[in-house]
Amino acid sequence: MSTKRSSLPIAAVVGTSLLLSACGGTTGDGGGATEPTGDVAAMAVSKGQSGDEYTSPEVPQSSDTFIVSTDNPYTAYNNQTSDANNSYNAFALTMVLSGAYKLDGNNKVLLNKDVMEGVEVTSESPQTVSWKIKPGVVWSDGEAWDCDDFYLTWLSQAGKAKGADGKDLFLAAGTTGYELVDKVECKTPTEVVTTFSTTYPDYKGLFGVRNDILPAHVLEKATGVADVTTLTPTGGDQAALAKAAEFWKTKWNGFDAALMPSSAQYVITAFEQDSSVTLERNPKWAGKPGGPAKIVLRGISDQVAQAQALENGDVHVNSMAQPDVNAAERLRGLSGQKVVFGAANGLSFEHLDLNYKNKWLADAAVRRAFMQCVNREELTDKLIRPVLENAKPLGSLTFFQGEEGYTDNYAQYKGDAAEAKKTLESAGFTFGGDGFAAKNGEKVTLKISHTAIPRRKQTVELIQSQCKAAGFEIVDDTDSNFLDTRVSKGDYDIALFAWSAAPFKSQQKSIYETGGGQNWSAYSNPKVDAAFNDGVSNLDEAKSRAAYQEADKLLAADNYSLPLFQLPNMWAFKSIDKVYFQSYNGALWNANEWVKTS
Amino acid sequence: MIRFITRRLLISVPILLVGSFLCFFMVAGAGNPVAELRAKPGVTEAQVRALEVSLGLDQPIIVRYWTWLVNFLRGDWGQSIALGQAKVDIFDSVMRGLWVTARLVIGAEVLAIVFGVAVGVLAAVKQYSIFDYIATSSAFLMFSMPVVCVAVILKTYGIQFNNLLESLGMDRWLTTVSPAEGGFSGGFGDWLFSYTGTYLLPTLTLTLISFAAYSRFQRASMLETLNSDYVRTARAKGISQRRVIFRHAFRNAMIPVTTLFSLNAAVLFSGAIITETVFGWKGMGNLLVQSVRTFDPNMLMGWLMVTAALVVVFNLVADLMYGILDPRIRLA
Amino acid sequence: MPSDPRANPSQPSGVPAAGTVVTGEFDATKARKQSTLVLRRFFRHRLAVASLAVFTLIVLFGLLGPLFWTIPVDDTTSRGYLPPSPAHPLGTNQTGKDMLAQLIVGTRLSVQIALVVALGSTIVGVALGALAGYLRGFVDSAISRFTDLMLIIPQIAVAAILVRAFDGSWYTVAFILAAFAWMQTARITRGETLSLAQREFIEAARAAGARTRWIIFRHLVPNMVGTITVNTTLAVATAVLSEAALSFIGLGVQPPDTSLGLIINENYSQITSRPWLFWGPFVVIVLLSLAVNFIGDGLRDAFDPRQTKVRA
Repeated sequence: MSTKRSSLPIAAVVGTSLLLSACGGTTGDGGGATEPTGDVAAMAVSKGQSGDEYTSPEVPQSSDTFIVSTDNPYTAYNNQTSDANNSYNAFALTMVLSGAYKLDGNNKVLLNKDVMEGVEVTSESPQTVSWKIKPGVVWSDGEAWDCDDFYLTWLSQAGKAKGADGKDLFLAAGTTGYELVDKVECKTPTEVVTTFSTTYPDYKGLFGVRNDILPAHVLEKATGVADVTTLTPTGGDQAALAKAAEFWKTKWNGFDAALMPSSAQYVITAFEQDSSVTLERNPKWAGKPGGPAKIVLRGISDQVAQAQALENGDVHVNSMAQPDVNAAERLRGLSGQKVVFGAANGLSFEHLDLNYKNKWLADAAVRRAFMQCVNREELTDKLIRPVLENAKPLGSLTFFQGEEGYTDNYAQYKGDAAEAKKTLESAGFTFGGDGFAAKNGEKVTLKISHTAIPRRKQTVELIQSQCKAAGFEIVDDTDSNFLDTRVSKGDYDIALFAWSAAPFKSQQKSIYETGGGQNWSAYSNPKVDAAFNDGVSNLDEAKSRAAYQEADKLLAADNYSLPLFQLPNMWAFKSIDKVYFQSYNGALWNANEWVKTS
Repeated sequence: MIRFITRRLLISVPILLVGSFLCFFMVAGAGNPVAELRAKPGVTEAQVRALEVSLGLDQPIIVRYWTWLVNFLRGDWGQSIALGQAKVDIFDSVMRGLWVTARLVIGAEVLAIVFGVAVGVLAAVKQYSIFDYIATSSAFLMFSMPVVCVAVILKTYGIQFNNLLESLGMDRWLTTVSPAEGGFSGGFGDWLFSYTGTYLLPTLTLTLISFAAYSRFQRASMLETLNSDYVRTARAKGISQRRVIFRHAFRNAMIPVTTLFSLNAAVLFSGAIITETVFGWKGMGNLLVQSVRTFDPNMLMGWLMVTAALVVVFNLVADLMYGILDPRIRLA
Repeated sequence: MPSDPRANPSQPSGVPAAGTVVTGEFDATKARKQSTLVLRRFFRHRLAVASLAVFTLIVLFGLLGPLFWTIPVDDTTSRGYLPPSPAHPLGTNQTGKDMLAQLIVGTRLSVQIALVVALGSTIVGVALGALAGYLRGFVDSAISRFTDLMLIIPQIAVAAILVRAFDGSWYTVAFILAAFAWMQTARITRGETLSLAQREFIEAARAAGARTRWIIFRHLVPNMVGTITVNTTLAVATAVLSEAALSFIGLGVQPPDTSLGLIINENYSQITSRPWLFWGPFVVIVLLSLAVNFIGDGLRDAFDPRQTKVRA
């Protein structure tokens, strides 16, 4: 690592990331120069991007093998089936499956110029988008990467293909966006035109960001379907459709070289179940070839074990989607051995939902008082800062910190028990000899329900002691089945869990709209509904953003849900020039650019 | 003999049946593997329900158990129902885990028995000597340490030992994670270097722990036999010390060690859980913990069938060993 | 962990008809004499006496600690990860809890768990083992099969279910550990009972028409008191370690309760960066289990003096 680098402004960064200096992890002795000074935040920007586009850069091709560890092993090539879907597959597939767009470390959406000519919205009503593929782009088995593949992507994920019994044939993990696409047409093999039923500003999240464009020709060959574009979700050859769906669901699991070609910089060459997947340079790749000859992605579930493996030189990169204080401390202590440690906010945040069905929480004053007593600063300081040193409490339900449009709408809630007590008093609550608030002789007792994760236990423990002074009796309700039946029935007073979002916003609607599928607390505000409806359908980016901001402000005023903090990702590396943990696609998102340093 | 073995194996069938039934109920009843899906914005109840149906989770547990049992008897071990596991084949997973753990445990157990028995016999024969004190106290110390501490300490200092090697201009030797994909390559020297480097720390952890038990056990039982009437008689008859120890005492003193070995079998494979976790091996221990954590009864059944079969076999072998070591014990 | 992967070290009498030690017939006067003798022999064993002192100190530390160290165990008002200072001699943990207070409570709960497990597993093990060995036949096979069943059921699965269902307080964990700790005691007791039951005084009692319960508790158990005591003592040490193992995979005691195992599990990776967080509980747990093991050893020698007098 070079030792001197100017730090870049962090304001433009979505996942606020930073360099964490090291003081041996013990007592901050201050003063002394800290090493290394490589600015990790700057690593969120890849070498190949310029403006809104990405092109694989020219990097020296080496014979190096890099071993990258992450929390869980790779399981499937098709990450869109509901039983395979998990982020750890994306961590490998980001270098294997190309798409129209990709995300940089700051979740900025970049047009993938290696494989695309361009994408254009050709009409706004109905919204039609034209996707132009670069001619000559091929899969690693030599077949063209073209419109067929886009068509299959839509066909499989639109959730519209139903069997004779009415069941979803493909059972995709998500249908977001694709279900709004009415038809996909192949004007030419390299021009795809999609027509939407309603306007959909997040269209760039389709066809590729989720590593979901799979080789249609492989499916055609294996199932005997001559041309997937002749299949339609309804009508058409139902038997062939069912066959295609069966293949799509079951045959792209695990590893089979013949069925799993690459359309990106690297191709999968080996796989050891439960353990590792090996990527090697794709000789047929359309763009500039990747630097490292070989990348092995290993699953090591214990994060401290990951850190020690890096320390011992068994792996070159750690990438952890789950923050772990012990591992972070350990990695930070290794700066003397040229290990660079990074942490940045990820795409999920912890929050407390206050259930309107609860008789106490139905009272706005109680909700307000509760939010006043929770000291989010202390929670962040004790639970998150050991991992991400400049972490701040999250102040928005619809935007992440650093994202354009983020405003802190919860700044007034600073964990002031006296203020909370006053709020309760003026709402007619009295305080008994034990200090607990009561109304009509009944004590205010609130349960915080959550699944058995140590961090959540700690969160509740801290809130218990913070809110006791305000007169709240908080009960810890740890239930590993909480997310099973209880949450969806709204069986809780206060729910503590994390929303893990894709970097596109339209999915939030079902959490907050009246009667929304994931609005389990009976929250309802017509103004919020209207704001979300505007946000998800307005093609004007600025107006859509303003609508989400409006929704966020209204939500805060209603004291419905208290965001606590974002959960950081963390990573560390040694002997590579720059590595950044992309919060959606993991550490390998720019592995083609990695260059070994001494 | 054959009848004895057959009977023992037949007896274990109902036990396995009851055991698997109980375990299946516990894990299947403990939680829903797909529940976590609800924390993803935009996921609808219908999607969750559809996935449950496709995994068979909509059926009552008893029906799921029956389905599993029928398929198992037909030789189909089923598929994982854990979220994100892509319905991985259970037989494959279990055999893979077994292979990983076997490589780890067998070596450790053999080392532990050989050294444990040797040290135990010596300590008993030279009771109250310096050797006895050192052997006894170190065994006691190992015996009193939590496995996790042994593993953590070995690992921490293993890394520092590597740093030392490197500073002396040598290659790093010890690895802290399971063997790399594709096995080891290079000439015999290289192979030996990386093989020992990979296995040393976890094997040593397991060896140290079992060694303590074996040596203590062997010492105690050796003392007991040395003190027994027939050994006294043998000695009184003027038979040489060596012959007394090895022909008479040692053989009988091995019986309790055999018991220990068979009892150890139950925990042999699952007992490596902590070592596997600390050193990142994906063996049987990892499989057990994962199947319980992800509410995957099918995977647990695969684990249980293999471990239970091992327990039965080890107990049988131990009983047969008694017969060989002590002709008075007849198999009936 | 289906128990710690270590069986009982000093108890070689697991096999029927081989290597069992019979202390002799039982009657009241002799018993008094025997217990005096055992105590006298025990107190001659210097290491065992020292261990008893250490064990007592550790127990006192856990019991009386809160009187002298008054920071509440659940107090989170301090900053997280403070280094040792006069205010916090062992520093604070991540959420700002005082580590000394944690250690005191952890020690008390670990000892509590270990004692409950040792007693519980001994009672169940001895009762079942003696019944099986004395009644033989159907009862014996039923109990043996039950033992076999418990040996194949993974403790982790049971722990995962119970800890989740009952919130992982110390008695849940004690129950889980005890439920999987009695099998060896049962086997040993059965073996001893088998050989004792052949002896004249038992046959005489039986001929005189004594009831089963009478024979077991008046004749069999008192004659196995040496084995049982030693076994129980050693079970304490095993339980301390098993609790630590269970905690390591997150299925042991859950906060707000704490235990030595849980403290070690939370802090083991700080062995080099914040050594005090690891070595404090480590020393207590090793001393505790070492002391108990030595006490057990001393007791064994005291009950069975022949072993210590061997001259080879």
